[in-house]
Amino acid sequence: MNGTSREARLNAAFVAVADTLTDHYDVVELLHTLVVECTAIVAATAGGLMLADPLGELQLVASTDESAELVELMQLAAGAGPCVDCFHTGTPVSVPNIATSASEWPAFRAAAREQGFQSVHATPMKLRGEVIGTMNLFKVAPGALGERDVAVVQALADVATIGVIQQRISAESQIVAEQLQKALESRVLIEQAKGAVSQVTGLSMDEAFETLRQYARDGNLTLHAVATAVVDRSISAEFLAELTRARRPAQ
Amino acid sequence: MNDVVTDDPPLSSDPAESLCGLFVDLVPVSGASITVFGRPGAHSTICVSDGIAVELDQLQFDLGEGPRFQTARTGRAAISEDVLTGVHPEWPVFGGAAARLGVGSVFSFPIRIGSALLGVADLYRRTTGPLGDDATKRARSIARRVAAPAVARAGRSATSDEPDSRDSPALRREVHQATGMILIQLEVSADEAFDLLRAHAFSQARTVEDVARDVVQRRLDFRDVTS
Repeated sequence: MNGTSREARLNAAFVAVADTLTDHYDVVELLHTLVVECTAIVAATAGGLMLADPLGELQLVASTDESAELVELMQLAAGAGPCVDCFHTGTPVSVPNIATSASEWPAFRAAAREQGFQSVHATPMKLRGEVIGTMNLFKVAPGALGERDVAVVQALADVATIGVIQQRISAESQIVAEQLQKALESRVLIEQAKGAVSQVTGLSMDEAFETLRQYARDGNLTLHAVATAVVDRSISAEFLAELTRARRPAQ
Repeated sequence: MNDVVTDDPPLSSDPAESLCGLFVDLVPVSGASITVFGRPGAHSTICVSDGIAVELDQLQFDLGEGPRFQTARTGRAAISEDVLTGVHPEWPVFGGAAARLGVGSVFSFPIRIGSALLGVADLYRRTTGPLGDDATKRARSIARRVAAPAVARAGRSATSDEPDSRDSPALRREVHQATGMILIQLEVSADEAFDLLRAHAFSQARTVEDVARDVVQRRLDFRDVTS
């Protein structure tokens, strides 16, 4: 690739990756764009991107093709291979000649050679020390990536990593918001149910609350469920009051 | 209250009043309140800085309108530089009522965590006029910083079985208890019961909490007030 077309290609790649970072971007689409662009930039044959799941296991989330062979190769590389090494060290792992690479990766080496790959380059996806996954580019020719290619691929991976982390923070904040709203609504419902029971029975609010709690406990229901049923009157407050009287015959 | 002004006040385990205090100390406003909300009616007032802030908080709750509701709906700051003469179609009644309390301008900022809208910081000034760019930036930045402690506090309060106390965030529990009583009295839904309670309070020029207390203490039965 000559200087000008390379520059144009790089600009286009950054624009393509940045373009997927819109308001409601799809992470898989972002990562797919990243791996396709990087594969083209370094003239690799195939590429795959793996992210760690909540248990810390690497899972393939995007690849240049969906062939079973490539998927299997990526899984082997994530078990014992360059991907997992890159993930654990947080630094790029370059394997210029798979045939003569570390002997502790026998399954990975065999599968890579079977598919005609002679070299692989693994790039960490990391932000401020946190490694979230790796991107792996396979070539049919042996040899390491040039310094500039390594830097460009890392820069693109960094942009995409920010996108992934932002999306995760946003998903977490959504959960915080939902939990809070649920807690507030639950409390409102419980107070309304206390009022309803109190109105029917003449019990104080505290006693009404005890009645609701006892009913929930006896029926192995949540207080929220019982309160909802009282407020929408699928359990009548009279019925709860009957139970209360039966339980406490003499006052 | 204004004796110590630092750029980076500590936040960690401060009592909630200091969350409102941050706005009052660091932004040129007369007072502030912070509210966290679920659905309509499920508002939890985390803190109020002074008596007028209390009344503004109550007024919005009672009327079911005001800059807080606009911010909650749009996710954007709702600002009125002159509550009396300004045009705010979303809250036709609140403006005049706020002016009668001696309020000149109001500034409601959304409180978010990430992209989620969780509450509103209501700031007011006795004077009219704009807040200014720097103060607005500062208010937004404080709104970001108070989000997590405000939410933690609202969550603790909502999951506690202790009744509201003067110092704890007010979820207005009696209002919801009264709603529960009215829905039995009139055989209506909870939403209808709450609307009737609010409408009755408005027609009597009383606060919703005040009327709710009468209901809970059985001094008022809605079977007698159907209008």
